[in-house]
Amino acid sequence: MARVLRHYGSLIGMAAIVLFFWAALPDTFMTARNWLNISQQLSMLTVVAVTMTVVMVMGDFDLSVGAMASLAGVVAAVLFTLGAPVPVALAAALAVGLAGGVLNGVLVSVIGILPFVATLATLTMFSGAAFLVSGGKTVFGRDIPQGFADFARSGLPLGTLDGKPLVLPALTLFAAAVTLAVWVVLDHTTYGRRLYAIGGNAEAARLAGVKVDRLRLSAFAFTGAGAALAGLMYASRVASANPVQGDGLMLSAIAAVFLGMTITRDGQPHVLATVAGVVTLGVMDNGLTQLQVDSYVRQVLVGAIIIVAVSVSAIGKRAMRGR
Amino acid sequence: MPELRLSGLVKSFGPARALDGAALSLRGGEVHALMGENGAGKSTLIRILAGLERADAGMVTLDGAPLPLGTSQAATAAGLRFLHQELQVVPALAVAENMHLSRPYPLRLGLVDWATLRQAARGALARLGVDHIAPETPMGALGPGDQMLVRIAATLLEGGPAPWAYVMDEPTAALTGAEAARLFAAIGQLRAAGAAVLYVSHRMDEVMLLADRITVLRDGAHVATRDRAATTRDEIIRDMTGREMADLFPPHRDRAAPAPLLQVAGLRAAGLGPVSFDLATGEVLGVAGLSGSGRGALLRALIGALPRAGKITLAGQPLAADPAGAWAQGLAYIPRERRAEGVMPRRALAETVALPHLSRLSRRGFVNHRAATALVRRLSAQVRLKASGPAQPVAELSGGNQQKVLFARALAGNPRLLLLDEPTRGVDVGAKFDIYALIRNLAARGTAVIVVSSDLPELIGLSDRIAILQGGHITQTLPATGMTEAALLAACYGKDG
Repeated sequence: MARVLRHYGSLIGMAAIVLFFWAALPDTFMTARNWLNISQQLSMLTVVAVTMTVVMVMGDFDLSVGAMASLAGVVAAVLFTLGAPVPVALAAALAVGLAGGVLNGVLVSVIGILPFVATLATLTMFSGAAFLVSGGKTVFGRDIPQGFADFARSGLPLGTLDGKPLVLPALTLFAAAVTLAVWVVLDHTTYGRRLYAIGGNAEAARLAGVKVDRLRLSAFAFTGAGAALAGLMYASRVASANPVQGDGLMLSAIAAVFLGMTITRDGQPHVLATVAGVVTLGVMDNGLTQLQVDSYVRQVLVGAIIIVAVSVSAIGKRAMRGR
Repeated sequence: MPELRLSGLVKSFGPARALDGAALSLRGGEVHALMGENGAGKSTLIRILAGLERADAGMVTLDGAPLPLGTSQAATAAGLRFLHQELQVVPALAVAENMHLSRPYPLRLGLVDWATLRQAARGALARLGVDHIAPETPMGALGPGDQMLVRIAATLLEGGPAPWAYVMDEPTAALTGAEAARLFAAIGQLRAAGAAVLYVSHRMDEVMLLADRITVLRDGAHVATRDRAATTRDEIIRDMTGREMADLFPPHRDRAAPAPLLQVAGLRAAGLGPVSFDLATGEVLGVAGLSGSGRGALLRALIGALPRAGKITLAGQPLAADPAGAWAQGLAYIPRERRAEGVMPRRALAETVALPHLSRLSRRGFVNHRAATALVRRLSAQVRLKASGPAQPVAELSGGNQQKVLFARALAGNPRLLLLDEPTRGVDVGAKFDIYALIRNLAARGTAVIVVSSDLPELIGLSDRIAILQGGHITQTLPATGMTEAALLAACYGKDG
């Protein structure tokens, strides 16, 4: 029983959530259009959560991703207002993400600050920098190039349904591509296996010839770049940028990875499990919104679901140990 | 005076007999040394006393009445206290609070009465003859010796159940000479107050200084209990080692003509050196030394896990100073602390085996999973690993099989030089035999081996030469053929022995 709960409890719970909304919203929930809509809403969170998984497989985490997403969006938008071409602005924003990630990596692996403290401090810095760069204002309207904003509105036509075109959003495709890339890196390259080894036992990994410090640093850079990417996706989607628009991504991303950890066999982070966590969070948000549940109540419910999922997993683990 | 008697204790772990007729009598007012080689059964006997294990057979009586053991509460109720090498302390809390961890704080009006708390702590320390430790000092500011004194003093607080017997397991392993001297003075106080101290140590000079009686265990059985005043160092060593060499060691194989492989000149690291020696292909060099002699540091310096200085060449090439480079040059290392430094307990055993060899098992950075799995399967068979498959988490394996996972990992690179730190620690007899055979076969094929071990028969049985480390220096290098345990032990104790 404990084994079943431990291995499948969370999956059963996720399925139950979907079934619940299907029953409660028979006409609107289980439709292609709604799921395409969910996938687009979730695309930014997917990118952040999946790249967050890269540091979490080492047993670290990064609190600064939300602030970095905001900063990257603002950097690109401000460059747009200065007349920079789209590729230049995007490259600059990604470079900021990479640099921020390297900063986190240096603090954690070279200087040896706990990830919680280091990334809490850089969160504050990135957030302040976003306000500085934007002057505290939202950048929108004419200043945002049409081509940049159009990306989020484009997609792959899938045909028509009820007379309206059905489109697989470009942001969804993009998030799927990032997920695939990170999955390949973590599961199929020496780089990824070494990151998992660091999470499994850092000292043993070092003695077995893994360059722990260098890999940790690079993994944080990876996560920083992922956060910047998500910030650009956000800016494209709303065709504007303000210095706080990505902030909410951080807690949701960490929650998604933790939810995912409850369904993996070894209880450790895994990219595909993280995606399952992201979908769970997104489905709840979508369903509860359609049920017109107040947004504050929604927050309480989402928090409670996370506690339930992680508790069930922890109880199952303890039962296994005490057998 | 109370008397605790243990007789006819038997305890098996699987096929291995840890205790096979062990006996001991402990009287109030004496310091009783318990001696024996590694694997003689000292730790098992203590774990039974502490209630961490249950004996399969045997009698334990306190003043003639059978004593029910089997839980740590029962051991406490019987007046026994255990001071382990790894002390349980809370470094951030004051000495006085650490002394009250397992008992209620004195209160006044429902709040902690700090003055009384410190007064009680000071009184208990004074009863132990300790006046240099202030009760308000944070525990973390004390050295290991003073922490141990605080732990002992905590048992002397008034109002608690008073213990009559203390069990100290290698208490001086981490202590300086001055700290040890303070501990000995405290032990003298306990004895004078009528308490018994069961003192487990392999340091002959301490035992001869402190003990009233000495009990020696060998192969889990009681050999002798002697009055210190009526015995000699040599007699004790003979008691500890006087057994026929078991046929545990496969015969030396003829090996290909040895060629020079490793040259170490002036190697220095923390607590080590300068050390110089040479090693040829197919040669097994044993390293003997007491704990703290630098024997572990020697291997860690060679693999590049410790900052080091000096000139080291492997087959004429300078040896890389970091583990990644050393593995790539054909070194392999099996660390002493299997769980902390060797395996990834919760992950599949295949990942531990493949980790140092990932670069070879991949093309352009992409892991060839099929090749990796095939390698793990082949090596698992070679080391006779008992596991359900490459995906089984290491934590689910026995100690001996976990060690075989590390051997599989070492063998996977066809190493030129294999570094082994206590290769059979916590390993059952069957796995031990397998491991010895593996080492022999490797040497026959030309791999050079450096093996650090505190198991003297193992060193003699496996090695071609044995280097004696003392205080970070090689004091002598002896041929293993014809070496006796007594001679080796005497060499380890050296001049101060």
